[in-house]
Amino acid sequence: MAQVGERESEELTLVTTKPYFDLPTACPLCLPLFIYLKLAHFPFRLSFNSIFPDSDQIPYVESGTYVAYNNENGGVIENLKRDGIVDLDSEFQSVPDWVAMKAMISSWLADAMMYELWVGSDGKSACKIYYSDLSWPIVKVLFLKQVYSVKQHLGITKDNAEQREDEIYKRAKIAYGALSTRLGDQDFLFDDRPSSLDATFLGHVLVTLHALPETSVLRSKLLEHGNVVRYAEKHKTKLIESSSSSSGPQFRSVPSSSTPKRGPSNWSSKPKSQPKREKTEGEKTFKRRARYFLAAQLVVVLLFLSLMGGNDAGDMELDDEDEGNAFD
Amino acid sequence: MSNPDSVPDLTPPDSERQKPFDTNEIDDEDGNDGDENDVEDDDEDEDGNDGVFRGPNRPKPQSREARFRSGKLKMESLLQRMKTGPVSVRVHDVIIKGNTKTKDHIIEAETELLNNVGSMQELLKASQIVNLRLQALEIFDSVKITLDSGPPELPGTANVIIEVVETANPLSGQIAAFTKAEARYSTVEGSLKYKNLFGYGDLWDGSLAYGYDHSTELSAGLYLPRFKGLVTPVTARAYLLSQDWLKFSSYKEQSMGLSLGLFSSEHHDVAYNIAWRTLTDPSQMASRFVRRQLGHNLLSSLKYTFKVDRRNSPMRPTRGYAFVSTTQLGGLVPDNRSLRFLRQEFDLRYAVPLGFYRAALNFGVSGGVVFPWGNGFSSKPSSLPERFFLGGNISPVCALGGPTTLWGFKTRGLGPTEPRRHVNDGTADPSGVDFLGGDLAFTALADLSFDLPFRWFREKGIHAHVFACAGNVAKLTENEYRNFSVQKFVESLRSSVGVGLVVPTSFFRMELNYCYIVKKFDHDRAKTGVRLTFFAAP
Repeated sequence: MAQVGERESEELTLVTTKPYFDLPTACPLCLPLFIYLKLAHFPFRLSFNSIFPDSDQIPYVESGTYVAYNNENGGVIENLKRDGIVDLDSEFQSVPDWVAMKAMISSWLADAMMYELWVGSDGKSACKIYYSDLSWPIVKVLFLKQVYSVKQHLGITKDNAEQREDEIYKRAKIAYGALSTRLGDQDFLFDDRPSSLDATFLGHVLVTLHALPETSVLRSKLLEHGNVVRYAEKHKTKLIESSSSSSGPQFRSVPSSSTPKRGPSNWSSKPKSQPKREKTEGEKTFKRRARYFLAAQLVVVLLFLSLMGGNDAGDMELDDEDEGNAFD
Repeated sequence: MSNPDSVPDLTPPDSERQKPFDTNEIDDEDGNDGDENDVEDDDEDEDGNDGVFRGPNRPKPQSREARFRSGKLKMESLLQRMKTGPVSVRVHDVIIKGNTKTKDHIIEAETELLNNVGSMQELLKASQIVNLRLQALEIFDSVKITLDSGPPELPGTANVIIEVVETANPLSGQIAAFTKAEARYSTVEGSLKYKNLFGYGDLWDGSLAYGYDHSTELSAGLYLPRFKGLVTPVTARAYLLSQDWLKFSSYKEQSMGLSLGLFSSEHHDVAYNIAWRTLTDPSQMASRFVRRQLGHNLLSSLKYTFKVDRRNSPMRPTRGYAFVSTTQLGGLVPDNRSLRFLRQEFDLRYAVPLGFYRAALNFGVSGGVVFPWGNGFSSKPSSLPERFFLGGNISPVCALGGPTTLWGFKTRGLGPTEPRRHVNDGTADPSGVDFLGGDLAFTALADLSFDLPFRWFREKGIHAHVFACAGNVAKLTENEYRNFSVQKFVESLRSSVGVGLVVPTSFFRMELNYCYIVKKFDHDRAKTGVRLTFFAAP
């Protein structure tokens, strides 16, 4: 903590996948975070990692030695709220519709996007978004792995593929309808003020409109709601296209005094093992000592076998004259 | 082994039966002493056979003793002739027997030099070499070469009969320890070998290796002595490798690849490697630089190694020199998304004997540089696994794998560092750093080894040594080369001195050293004290 405090303030950097389809990042997990920081007018730098598409750590924000990963404590937005860096939702938690809208966006719409990118469409959009900087053999294997993983996650098998597809699209349609009604002609979903749900919904809508192919079923369902499309395009113009670069003239350092609580594991990604901090010092020392003990035993046994059993090691060769033969 | 230039040792034959000339029974001998030989003509199949020796037609032997005496006389006359000058003979036919599985052309490829012999002396020499080569294929339990006289209508010719016994049990296993130069640590490997599966002299092996620094490798390999007329053997190896660098640099490396040995001779080695490499950070504590490197990469590289090793022993060099240069060029596919880099390293070792107590002074320098290439290469970072890391428990005197280690410094224990992620939950080490290695590395060493004045130690080969070493790594990529200066590099050289005991065993060379760290920097992981180092010859 003292380390960060003493260091001069460092800008917040957001690391996402690469830009594509006229969007600063075309990944549906990364774009909401970009929009969230923009809505909060929080200056940040944008950086890319284009060689790790299957990582559940991306997107993440970093500032000095502070890092907030996507797969920790419910996501980066939750981390930023928890650490007191950016919080747009402080007044909305008690609104009755808030939880329902959040659940719809984070489950039904997220599932629909995942399905459409990897299974519903021909996969070309997904390959462009995630694999444009990887070599062909790696792309092929990662793509197949991801399609399999998505089907597992969505519970799609050969027998129920059609039903699941219908169910996913139906739920997406319901979600679009509800959100469109909620939005009306306002600028934002709640109280005409930006929230994290706006960021998440905008991210979803922009990727659906710009990244998915025109034959996409999900895209056509979204286009039925004109107010949502206008809402998305308006914010795109304001937030993304108007600012030329994402780094502002002044930078804010990340406050280091907060103590983040450990929350439940992330809702959207596969549960990964928590950082290995649970072992106590005593356990670690014990394990280290046990390893040294075993290694020492092995060395002694080998020495004993070699020395006591008669030594015909390479040293004998030293007595010979140099025959001019090369050793390998 | 026999000195091919000599006339073979002659001993009275202990068998009463006449035998054809058998190169397997030739002993080491110097000069032409005119000793006797047990070589005899094979006249069992034909009578009136004067073959190589141009002796008179032998009448049908009347007794064994008579045959023996006659054969002995012939041999003596042959050797007299060989003493005075070359005895002209050429090979008429090479007959191969005993190979049920092995294809003829595999054996014939090794016997080509028999066709060019012009004299008896050359024929003997060539037979020895062919014998050794066939045994080196590792697919025969025994190889016997017999020289017989050629057909009677063609005087001055000989037939060479090669009898091989293929391995009865093609499956073999072994456990070995060695130090892998590229991996920079010692490994224990268990392997199974299957010989000659398809009869092409092919050697298949599967192995599981475990390295000291938590790496595991599962691999399968193929060795082909003759592949479509190529001069040198071809080796191919498919591997799955996992290396755990979490403790040092907060990342784990997994590779899946194929390496092909394209050309290999005494001094030169060319290999091609294609691999899919993934760097991950399951601890989620990596520093910024390492975070940027995480992900997948396609590695396609060609590696050329030039090696001259004239030291008298790799385990305890007391005389001679060695030079190794390794050049690796990555990015050999048209795809510009594969990893592009150029890596060059060299080692020079020189041993001077001092003449008392079997003492010797060993000097060594090693250096290496790595740089990416392609558009904007000067501002791109080099790939983390390709960089140079100094430190570890390998003995620098023996290891010839570029700049790898300094006495007293722990694995990846020196060089540029970056602070790890800081988490405010109290359990993380606030001073944790990742060692990032460098693009330029240099080490130098001096080692004086000598026998101890106790007989028991001398008998076991245990000796002592006094040593000093220095080394450094520096970053050049991402435009850091603009800030680089040789003076700064030399001023920040780390160094250590020490004294220790060297215990060479059948498996490895172990050093028990007391190291005193003369110069180190803040984050370096080095401590004055007693350390063990190992080296196992590959």
